[in-house]
This record gives sequence, C-alpha cells and structure tokens, in this order.
Amino acid sequence: MSHRFARRLLKEHQAFERANLPGLQLLPGSDITKYLVSMSVANELYSGQKFMLLISIGTEYPVEPPLVKFVTENECTVPLHPHVYSNGHICLNVLGKDWTPACGVESVVLSVQSMLSTNTLAERPPDDARYVRHAPRDPKNGRFVYHDDTV
Amino acid sequence: MKVKIKHWHAVATWHWKTEGQADELCGICRVPFDGTCPNCKYPGDGCPLILGNGCSHNFHLHCILKWLEQNNSKGLCPMCRQVFTAKVIDGVGSKEELAELQELIDQHKTERETAGAEFEYAEEE
Repeated sequence: MSHRFARRLLKEHQAFERANLPGLQLLPGSDITKYLVSMSVANELYSGQKFMLLISIGTEYPVEPPLVKFVTENECTVPLHPHVYSNGHICLNVLGKDWTPACGVESVVLSVQSMLSTNTLAERPPDDARYVRHAPRDPKNGRFVYHDDTV
Repeated sequence: MKVKIKHWHAVATWHWKTEGQADELCGICRVPFDGTCPNCKYPGDGCPLILGNGCSHNFHLHCILKWLEQNNSKGLCPMCRQVFTAKVIDGVGSKEELAELQELIDQHKTERETAGAEFEYAEEE
C-alpha cells in the first residue's frame, strides 16, 4: 500500500494511538488508512453504550475528507441523534463541505464525539426513512441539507 | 606555526525564509517546509514554498495546488478559511506551476463573485 500522503497518514496514526483520548479506543483491524474506533460518550442519553466509528481514508485524502460513519459490529448500535441516520451516516459539515486539509482523523473523531455529548434529543433525523432508502454508499456523495445549527 | 591547507570541504544548510511562523509544517502534507511535498524527491527550488498573502499560512506549492484544484476548497486557506492569496518567493518555482496557481485563485474569485451576484439577485426578487 502506498498512499501519496503516506507520511502524513503515519504521523496521524501514531499521534492518535499516543493521544489516548478519553472514551476513544483504536480497535484491532485498524491501519493507517482505516480506523475502527470504539466510542463512549459522557452523556446520560448514551450511558453504558459503546459505538463503533469507521474512518476510511481514500486516495485523495487529505484534500478530500475521509469517509466517516457508524458501523454495527460486535453488538454496537448507531447512536440516536437528530443528525445521525439509521444506516450510520452522519450529517456534519466538517465531513463534507467544510472539510479542509487542516482537519484530520483526530479532529473528526472529536467532532463526532462532541456532537453526541452535547445532544439532548434521542431521535432520528426527520427525513431518516427517505434518506436511508436512497443513500449512496459513501455519505460524502449524499446531499445533506445542513439545516440545523442548534442541535 | 605555519599551516598549509591542502583541501577543504564546504558545508552549508538552507532554510525557507518564512515570517516567524511557529509550526514549520505544511498544513496539508504535515511535512516540514524544508522537506518536500509527497510528490517530489528533492527539496528546494523545485518544490517551492508559497506564502499566504492575506493570512500567514504557508504551504508547499504542490500541496496548495492540489487543494485549490478542489471545487470544495472554495479558494480558501485550509488553516484559517480566509480567501487564499499567494505571495511568491522571487525566483523559485516553475512558471507553468505558478501560472496554474494564479489561475486557480482567480477562478475561485470569479466563482465567488458570480455566486454573490446571484444571491443578491435572489434577494431582490
């Protein structure tokens, strides 16, 4: 495997492993282009729950954002959140139109975790059924409407 | 004592002259400015540094080109999201690549202006 930005990927991977961020754990099966992160959130809504976040780094990274979604393996569920669709796709501006190469794996994971920790509504987005029916495999290709800055 | 120098080796180091930025890593490839972008073998004139003009953020020319080629970049600096304009260090960089950079910057500018005009038009209606 040779990625154009391999040196950056290696640095990011090492930094992520070393950082030992609270509630986050890099799972076996991860490498520099694919992170499986176990996530727990300090929020009563999600107490006792563990989620699994997949970050997949494509060939155009870091010019393009990584693919980020929740996966349901090892009895992990997709968190109930007004911006998280039941297929695991996440509607978050930094994963799409507001991505810049100054972001990275760590900042993206922290954004998702913080989005969950400040949440007060255990519900799906209003257009969940419609979105999931037509959702592309890569959420980056989804046409999200970033309609709600308050949640 | 008389010393006769028979032969000598000159050793020199070089460093891109940037305006006192604390972190000397390219924000896109995260490699030091004095190193190369991931596509080049040899650092220096062939893989020049481009200085931010509106902001103080610098990048390898080849890295910022990759970013500005993206429509999604909207011509903004990756670090501070201000409109990116370039200050070119005199005498480095290939003419073609620098022209390409300027073209991308101008292209994003035109796109912003058209989008802005459409927005005003929509508001009037």
